Amino acid sequence: MFIDIDCAQEKKYNQNTYGDYFLSKRYPESGDLIAVLSDGLGSGIKANILATMTATMLLKFVEAGADIKTACEVIMNSLPVCQVRKISYSTFSVAHCSEDGEVKIVEEGNPNFIYISEGKVIEPEYTVIDSDTFKNRHMRVYKLQLKLGDRLIFCSDGVTQAGLGNPDLKLGLRRSGLIKYLLDKINSNPNVSSSELSHFAVRAAINTEPDRKPKDDTSCCVIYYREPRKALIFTGPPYHQEKDNEYANEFFKSSANKAICGGTTANLISRELKIPVVCNNVRSVGKLPAVSQMEGIDLVTEGILTLTKTYEYLENGFNDKEKNAAYDLMQFLLNSDCIEFMVGAKLNQAHYDPNLPIEIEIRKNIVKKMAKILEDKYIKKVTLRYI
Amino acid sequence: MNKVIVKICMGTTCFVMGASELQELTDIIPEKYGDKVEVVASTCLDFCSSNEESKAPYVMVDYDVISKATVEKVLEAIDGKLKNGQE
Repeated sequence: MFIDIDCAQEKKYNQNTYGDYFLSKRYPESGDLIAVLSDGLGSGIKANILATMTATMLLKFVEAGADIKTACEVIMNSLPVCQVRKISYSTFSVAHCSEDGEVKIVEEGNPNFIYISEGKVIEPEYTVIDSDTFKNRHMRVYKLQLKLGDRLIFCSDGVTQAGLGNPDLKLGLRRSGLIKYLLDKINSNPNVSSSELSHFAVRAAINTEPDRKPKDDTSCCVIYYREPRKALIFTGPPYHQEKDNEYANEFFKSSANKAICGGTTANLISRELKIPVVCNNVRSVGKLPAVSQMEGIDLVTEGILTLTKTYEYLENGFNDKEKNAAYDLMQFLLNSDCIEFMVGAKLNQAHYDPNLPIEIEIRKNIVKKMAKILEDKYIKKVTLRYI
Repeated sequence: MNKVIVKICMGTTCFVMGASELQELTDIIPEKYGDKVEVVASTCLDFCSSNEESKAPYVMVDYDVISKATVEKVLEAIDGKLKNGQE
């Protein structure tokens, strides 16, 4: 199963930074994922520092091999208390998820998470651990076994307390109000992505406020177990030309969504499989050669330049005027969970001509850089295969 | 008379070496020749790797290959083709 995770956040009105902090990390070797949502006391920079500290410490702790329960206990017992308000500096929720659906969750102070399975809310069992050092501090520990299609929704109290003091909602949106919104959304779109659902929840919370100005930092994190969306990208001709046919067939027969990056690569597949490449657009779009079409392939682009530009967009965001081939490729990648690159190792001698502009990168390098950013920044699962 | 087909290579090498400037041809050609000439784009035509020294950008006018192509060179080649065709 693939773990689709995303977090949507909105900062308190008039603040310049977020007082909630969300952190998640995927471990490709084990297939595990750790996510932390922390809410710092107050708002603005102070809250941001408190939340960031708590979340980062927790993640590093678990990463270093500590059991999630132990790690949380240590943090719970050592987090300071605000001198003025006599309450915790920050609250947190941590989830340690494995690919097979086993999830361990610890909560301290945040609203209880919502577990939705087959369109219904399940209230799982938990154990309570009290803090040795602080009387009123305790954490809830859960151990769950999730199935395909199950979701976990974590939020900061900014969501559940949204609209507090409204004539219609004296106690705010509350957990029950959020559940209603979530179930409505899931029933109308059972495959809704974590990104969409988390943004929807935050928007719903903010819309509860009479003036639509969040009174507190508002965050919602969704974890969704689903079938992975696979993408396969073929770029560059294979080193051994006699294997062209074998690789072209393997590529074409894959059930994944397919993209070809490279004119020569497209020609090679076209030749081996006898499918014509249609190049409709002579005009370049947004300083890149336009995309071509090929039956059965979702996207066909030029190679190095498009890959280099796509990497730039992945790094800095898309801010060009025209939606070009690199934009299409970025969308293609971001709409997938598991991405495999088939990287042909054959060199194109012409690319090494010193007369060529410097931006021509070596294919292997640019793909490697791309894989890294997709894994680190976009939490995708990436495999590289050199052929 | 058959149409003259002008094929502009949009491979990486040709693109960075000036094929993007050859796009003017999509305006000039229909204006000048009407429907006697057609301009199409192509994925890498593979001329760049077969020559010792790359002479990109490449354009094909029917079966003739124009290396280090410029708008003028391409128009000249088209003129030549059309003239031959009439003879």
